[in-house]
Amino acid sequence: MTTTLPVRLTVNGVQHVAHVEPRTTLADFLRAELQLTGTHVGCEHGVCGICTVLVNDRAVRSCLMLAVQADGANLMTVEGLAGPDGKLHPIQQAFVEEHGLQCGFCTPGFLIAIYELLENNPSPSESEILDVLGGQICRCTGYQSILRAVHSAAAKLGATGSGTAQESA
Amino acid sequence: MVIEIPKRVEDLPTSNPRWVGHRVERKEDSALLTGRTQFIADVVVPGMLHCAILRSPLPHARIAKLDTTDAAALPGVVAVVTGEDALRWSQPAASAPEGWGTHCLASSVVRYVGEPVAAVAATSRYVAEDALERIVVDYDPLDAVADPFAAMEAGSPLVIEEKGTNVMMQRLFTWGAVDDAFAQAAHVFTEKFRWNRLGANPMETFGAVCEWDPMSLDLTVYGSIQAASFFALGRAATFGIPSNKVNVKSQPHGGSFGGKGGTRGTDITCLLSRKAGGRPVKWIEDRMEYLTSGGSQAWDRHYEASLAVDAKAQVTGLRVKLVDDLGATGEGYAAISAAKPLAAFTGPYTIPVAEYDLTLVATNKLPAFPYRGFGPPPHFFVLEQMMDIAARHLDIDPAEFRRRNFIASDQFPYTIPSGNEYDSGSYEEVLDKALALADYADLRAQQARAREEGRIVGIGVASAIEPGVFDWNAYRTVGVPGIGVPEGATVSIDILGMITVRVGFSLEGQGQYTLASQLVADYFGTHIDAVRVVQLDTQSSPPSFGPGGSRLGVAITGAVLGACERIRQKMCAVTAALMQTEPSNVQLRDGKFTVEGMPGVEMSVAEVAGTMLARSDLLPPGIDPRPEATHVWTAAGRTEPDEQGRAKSYLTAAQAVHVVMVEIDRDTGVVEILKYCLADDCGTRLNPLVVQGQTEGSVAQGIGAALFEEYVYDEDAQPLTATFMDYLIPTINEIPPTEKAEVVTPSPFTPLGAKGCGEGAIHTTPAAVMCAVNDALAPLETMAREVPAAPSRIWNLIRSTQS
Repeated sequence: MTTTLPVRLTVNGVQHVAHVEPRTTLADFLRAELQLTGTHVGCEHGVCGICTVLVNDRAVRSCLMLAVQADGANLMTVEGLAGPDGKLHPIQQAFVEEHGLQCGFCTPGFLIAIYELLENNPSPSESEILDVLGGQICRCTGYQSILRAVHSAAAKLGATGSGTAQESA
Repeated sequence: MVIEIPKRVEDLPTSNPRWVGHRVERKEDSALLTGRTQFIADVVVPGMLHCAILRSPLPHARIAKLDTTDAAALPGVVAVVTGEDALRWSQPAASAPEGWGTHCLASSVVRYVGEPVAAVAATSRYVAEDALERIVVDYDPLDAVADPFAAMEAGSPLVIEEKGTNVMMQRLFTWGAVDDAFAQAAHVFTEKFRWNRLGANPMETFGAVCEWDPMSLDLTVYGSIQAASFFALGRAATFGIPSNKVNVKSQPHGGSFGGKGGTRGTDITCLLSRKAGGRPVKWIEDRMEYLTSGGSQAWDRHYEASLAVDAKAQVTGLRVKLVDDLGATGEGYAAISAAKPLAAFTGPYTIPVAEYDLTLVATNKLPAFPYRGFGPPPHFFVLEQMMDIAARHLDIDPAEFRRRNFIASDQFPYTIPSGNEYDSGSYEEVLDKALALADYADLRAQQARAREEGRIVGIGVASAIEPGVFDWNAYRTVGVPGIGVPEGATVSIDILGMITVRVGFSLEGQGQYTLASQLVADYFGTHIDAVRVVQLDTQSSPPSFGPGGSRLGVAITGAVLGACERIRQKMCAVTAALMQTEPSNVQLRDGKFTVEGMPGVEMSVAEVAGTMLARSDLLPPGIDPRPEATHVWTAAGRTEPDEQGRAKSYLTAAQAVHVVMVEIDRDTGVVEILKYCLADDCGTRLNPLVVQGQTEGSVAQGIGAALFEEYVYDEDAQPLTATFMDYLIPTINEIPPTEKAEVVTPSPFTPLGAKGCGEGAIHTTPAAVMCAVNDALAPLETMAREVPAAPSRIWNLIRSTQS
C-alpha cells in the first residue's frame, strides 16, 4: 500500500486537489496528473532547464522539485502564457518572428525563464539576459535567434516605458 | 503523363512568388509555443503501461543467473520480458555491415555497459523501476576490450564470439595512381589525429508506445521515430510478421540529428506489449539511459592522413587511413558514416587521386549511431588540418592555398576521385565573401599585435562540402543494399479551393510543413493559410523517408511539385473540355486557368476543382475526376558502386568557407572564440529563415564538437559520461554570434535548384575551429591533434613546449 499525501495548488489560475506519492516529481505530476504536457522533461537532473515552471513567481526546475513541495503554491506553466482566446503572448509572438524555435522541445522552459526575467526586469542588460538564457539548453537553434527573440519581446512589452508587462489582450 | 518538375523558381506558374524564397514564419510554431504539440512522452493510449529496462552494469559478461520472479510479483507489474522472449519472438537486429546485430535483450552474453537484459511493464514508470530493483542477475565477468587497436590483435576478447574477429570490415579503396602521386610529390605531409566519441543529444530522448496484439499479431507503434516507413518494414522483419500488419505513427520529434532510428527500446516495448496480452506499453528513454545506452554516440575515430603537394603548391594526392570504433554491434548503422566521406572525399579541391584505408572495429562500448553530418565532419577536420600543415610548411596563407586548389566554377558537374559528382559551385566567390566579411587582412593584423603582447591568438580558414540528398546506393560498400530513397506527397484541392498536403513524415525542426505550404500556395496562386499539411501513419501514407542526409527540403519539393503538376495537367484537361479546346491551349498562371485565343475567359483553381468534384457529368470521359494527385520523388541517375566503391550518390554539394578567430588562455588552456564569420552556398534558398536557423544551429553543434563534447570510457569499457554535467552541450555562453554571407549557385539537377542544407555547418565548423586553434599554437611549435580541444589537452600541449 503506497502512501499518498494531499496536494492543493493553483496552476494557470485553476485550483487543483490531488493525492500524490511523495516521490512524484512536480514535472511528472503536472504532465501525468494534470495533463499539462507542455512542460517537457529533458534530463531529470536539473541541467537543461527544459522543465522550468514558475512556482510563486520564481522559475524552478520542476524535475528537481517534488509535487508535495508545491502544496499551497501558485504555478504558471507554458499553457498559461497565451491569452484565453488563444492569442500568443508577446514573448511567444517574438519567438515566431525571430525563428526562436526549431523542434520546440526546449521552448516552454525558455519561455517561462524569459517571462520571469522580463516581469522582474523589463529592460535587462545583455549580460542579465545571457545569465538567464545560460540556464537553458537548446540543441537546435544555436541560441542567436532566441536572443533576438528576447530583445524583440522586451521591446514589445514596452521595455522603455512602463515597469510592468502589458497584458496580451 | 510526363511530369516536369520546375527547375527554377521562375518556372513556377506564378508571376511573383509570395512565399517560395521568402522568410516565411512557420505554421508549426503556435502549437509548439503553447505546449500543444504531442511529443511521444505526451501520448496517452487507454490501458497504457509503462516500461523500464534493466541494463548490464558490465561491458562483457555471461549471464549466469536471471530471476525475475520477485519483480513479476510486485503489485502493479503486468509483464516481464527477458532474452528468452527476444529469442522466441524476434530476430537479431538488422545491422551494417550485415550480420553484426544481436537480439534486443541479451540472453547469454552482455557485450556493453547498458545492454538490456530484462524489462518490466507496470502501471507507472515509478513502479516499473521499483520492479527492476527486484530482478536478480548474476554475471560472470569476461575480459572486455575498450580500444580498437587492442581489439584487432590476436588473442583479444571477441565482442561477438561467433564472428571469430572484432574486425567488422576492412577495405582499401584506391582511386587513381596514388602511389605515383606520392612518389613524385615535391612534398608529402603525414599526420595522425584522434576524434573522440560524441553524438546527437536532441533535447528529447527516444520514446515509443507499442501495441502488439498476441492473436492477430497486428503491431502499432507510436514514437519519436525517423524514417517511419523503413522503421515499419524493419519491425515486420524483426518480428517475422507480414508488412501490412505493422503501422507506425511518428510523433513530432524534439530534435533528432540522426539518432531517432534506434530499434532496441522499441522492440523491447513491443515484446512487453505482447506479453501483457496486447496492452499498449510506453517507454520513454531517460537522459542517463540515452547518454550511456542509447543512440547517443558516434565518430570514435583514429586517423592517419597524408597529403602530396607538387612544386606549384597543388595538392596531387590524399591518403586517409581510418580505424573506426563502432562499439559492440552494427545496429546503429554507423558503418555508413565511415563510408559517407566517399561522397565528398577530397572536399572542395581538385585533388586528382586518393586512397581510403578503412577498418571498422567492434569493442565492448555502446554501438555507435548516426549524428548530423553522418561521417564527413571528422573527415573534413582531418583534411583541413592537412591543408593547413601544407600551407604552413610552404609559407602560403591558408586562404590562398585553398583558393589555388579549389574546383573552379566552370568545372561543374565535377566528378571526384571517389566517384560522386558535385552538381555546381562557386567556391572562390564564397571564399572572397567570407574573407571580406571577416576583414581578413585586419584580423591578421590584430593577430600580429596580439602575439606581440604574448597572447595566443589564431585564425582558421576552412572550407568543406555538404553532400545533400542522400541515396542508399553508395552504402552497398558497407553492406546496405538498395537504390532510391522515396518521398511521396498527396496534394488535394477541395470544393472551396482549400488545399491539403498529405505526407508521411513528422517534423523535427526544419520546417518542412511550412515549405510544402509555400510551394503549393505559390503554385496554385493562393494564400499560404489556405494550405494545410497533414501527416499520415505508415499504413496510409505515400512512401516516405522524411528528414535525413540533408534531403528532405529537396525531396519534398520534388514530391509536392510533382503532385501539383499532375493536378495541373488534369485541370487543364477539364478546362479544355469545358471550353471546347485542346489542353495544350490552356495554361495556369497566378491561380487562374486561361485559354489561348479566348481573351477574358478564365477559371480559378477553386472553380475548376469545384467543377471536377460536383459536376462530373461535364467532364470528358476517362478523366480522373479528383483534383488530387500523389507524386513520389527520388533522385535520378544514382548508380551502383563499382569495384572501388565509386558511385553517383549524393545529388547535391553545398559548400561553405568559415573564418574563425580564437584566443587560448595560456594558464587554463581554455579556447575562446573571438570572431566567427562564414559564407555559404546551398543553392536556391526556399525559406531563408529556416536555412539561417539550420546554419546557426549546426555552428553551435560544431563548436560543441570541437571544444566541449566527449563520451569518455575507462580502460575497462565503463562509460564515465552519464549526465549533462559530464557531457557538455554548449549553452549560449559558449556560442558566439556568427556573421553570415551567402552565395546562391542553384543546382542544375534539383527541383527549384535547391541543395540539401539541413546538416549544414557541422561539416565545416569543427575543422575551422581546430584550424584556428592550431594557427594559434603554431608559433609554440605544437599542434592539437585530438578533438575536442578540451582545456586540459591544450594546457598540456602548451606546457609541453615550455622547458
